[in-house]
Amino acid sequence: MNPGATPGESPARVRVTAPRDAPPVPGPTLQPGTPEDFYLRSLIRSQLRLSLSVAAGFTVLLLVIAVLIAFWPQIHEIRVGTVPIAWLLLGAGIYPIILAAAALYNRACTRNERRYRDLASRP
Amino acid sequence: MSTPVLAGANTAAALAAVVLVTAATVLIAVNGLRLSRTTSDFYVASRTVKPWWNASAIGGEYLSAASFLGVAGLIVVSGEEGLWFPIGYTAGYLMLLLFVAAPLRRSGAYTLPDFAQMRLGGRLPRLVTSALVVAVGWLYIVPQLHGAALTLGITTALPRWAGPVAVTGIVCLTVLAGGMRSITFVQAFQYWLKLAALAVPTIFLLLHLGATGESVTAGGAAFDRLPAQEAGSAALGVPTGDLTLYQTVSLILALLFGTLGLPHVLVRFYTNPDGPSARRTTAIVLGLLAVFYLFPTVLGVIGRAHLPGLVASADADATVLLLPGALVGGVAGDLLTALVAGGAFAAFLSTSSGLVVSLAGVMSQELFGGTVRGFRIAALLACAVPLGIALLTGTAALAGAIGAVFAFTASTICPLLLLGIWWRGLTGRGAVAGMLTGAVSCGGALAAAQLLPAGYTVAGLAVVGILQQPAAITVPLAFLVTVGVSKASSAPGGRRAAQVMARLHAPEDADGLDGLPEEISRWRP
Repeated sequence: MNPGATPGESPARVRVTAPRDAPPVPGPTLQPGTPEDFYLRSLIRSQLRLSLSVAAGFTVLLLVIAVLIAFWPQIHEIRVGTVPIAWLLLGAGIYPIILAAAALYNRACTRNERRYRDLASRP
Repeated sequence: MSTPVLAGANTAAALAAVVLVTAATVLIAVNGLRLSRTTSDFYVASRTVKPWWNASAIGGEYLSAASFLGVAGLIVVSGEEGLWFPIGYTAGYLMLLLFVAAPLRRSGAYTLPDFAQMRLGGRLPRLVTSALVVAVGWLYIVPQLHGAALTLGITTALPRWAGPVAVTGIVCLTVLAGGMRSITFVQAFQYWLKLAALAVPTIFLLLHLGATGESVTAGGAAFDRLPAQEAGSAALGVPTGDLTLYQTVSLILALLFGTLGLPHVLVRFYTNPDGPSARRTTAIVLGLLAVFYLFPTVLGVIGRAHLPGLVASADADATVLLLPGALVGGVAGDLLTALVAGGAFAAFLSTSSGLVVSLAGVMSQELFGGTVRGFRIAALLACAVPLGIALLTGTAALAGAIGAVFAFTASTICPLLLLGIWWRGLTGRGAVAGMLTGAVSCGGALAAAQLLPAGYTVAGLAVVGILQQPAAITVPLAFLVTVGVSKASSAPGGRRAAQVMARLHAPEDADGLDGLPEEISRWRP
């Protein structure tokens, strides 16, 4: 990058290299036992709990559908128009659920972070 | 049934569409060259890409041959069980959003091996991660090239080697020209191209069937189980027979957790400016994927109803290419086929170039000191090896081949990422042991499934069916080994882990992170 280059004129090539080692890790750490460290730990815990519960809910839903289809063959007889209900569910119905889960998660996640910011910035 | 090659005017129109897509791709890429100058541009597009652009680019990169051609082909051959594949491909991004998106963006690492080194320190975790990333990338590019061979073989009179050679050449050229920056624009453009290339024919076919008074689903017969289906499904790696439930669960697991570890998907997240925008981007991606998969699903159903001969043929993956010609015919059919062929080519180009960029990034840092020149040498290597494999191997079913790669990444890179981001106790030794366990067990199972005869049983158990979908066993195994070895080898590395966790999880604009330096707590792109 050549800061002196005028627009339109192509800047001189400068050899640039990627960081040879890993990106820097933050130097001073949060001391264990301080409020900052406590807030951060509880942020991570609540984020993990949130992610796990959304993931678990969704996975259980998928498993229920898979088990239902495996052990209840009559489900193939139920049709909406000519389309069996299992096809509707798997081919279209699951996608809105995925989107709703994502939207729900993003809202809750942002709320967790806001709560953390409020706590951490309190004098 | 022999390969149904389309003939006549079709050839010219399809070839023109492929050339047009290619020209547009190269043009945008070469334009990007003026913008990308620094190493940062080459690797991660300077981290200035907006969520909508980035989401389109992620969608463009992710929707590969397996999605564009493979999903409809699977539904034609396997029916209902085939529907799990697009669900898994989409829900994989939900898992990515839940566990990886924002923390990974905040890690500030360029590549997966960078993440491994940042989190764990030392050379070995980095090396093992690099080797796995390169292996996964190569395996993932091969089906793209097979898809290109199929597409050009069916829509034009060109020989089967022409597709792989053309895709590899174009990808190499665009990546050498512009790196990630231009790739982002190319990918974003290609998502919308792919969507249009399936949506327009789908809507046209539905209207056409409606106008001629034919039933879209052949009066519901499209959903019936077909006699030829079981054998075809088993060969494709689709859940079938007595093991349907185990295989379905295993497949879902592989697809859900395999997406986390795909190198070309991960590198995209580094181009978001911050954690929350990485989350927003992922949510948009989910919407884009959900909309996209409606169309190959509908086309698959139409294919079952109106091209039943495809079920037993080796070219079910060509369903979306064959439907317009078979149902509509004439000039309209030719034009629609050309549109689909162009979209399919966009799929091969975008996924392959995304993979080549991330592979070249990893290889150049590992082998060539991370310079722009090294990146270009690495890009050549990343292109050449899969081309060789693709030309030497026969075309496998696209979605099944991709499913195997997902099982492999779920068993290797996924434990490193999930535990690295969420568990302080992860150590370098634990991560390495887990990755190697996953690689050996999953890779071995997949190889054995190929080598053993289809009916092979041990104590009455259809072993091949289990080996074909190993994720339900190898993913938990890899996690267990990672956690076990980490606990046994717990070194005094807790301080480093705590620092990294602070960086991964604290919001960028939080006050009061006194312990963290300015560049971490107040970082802006």
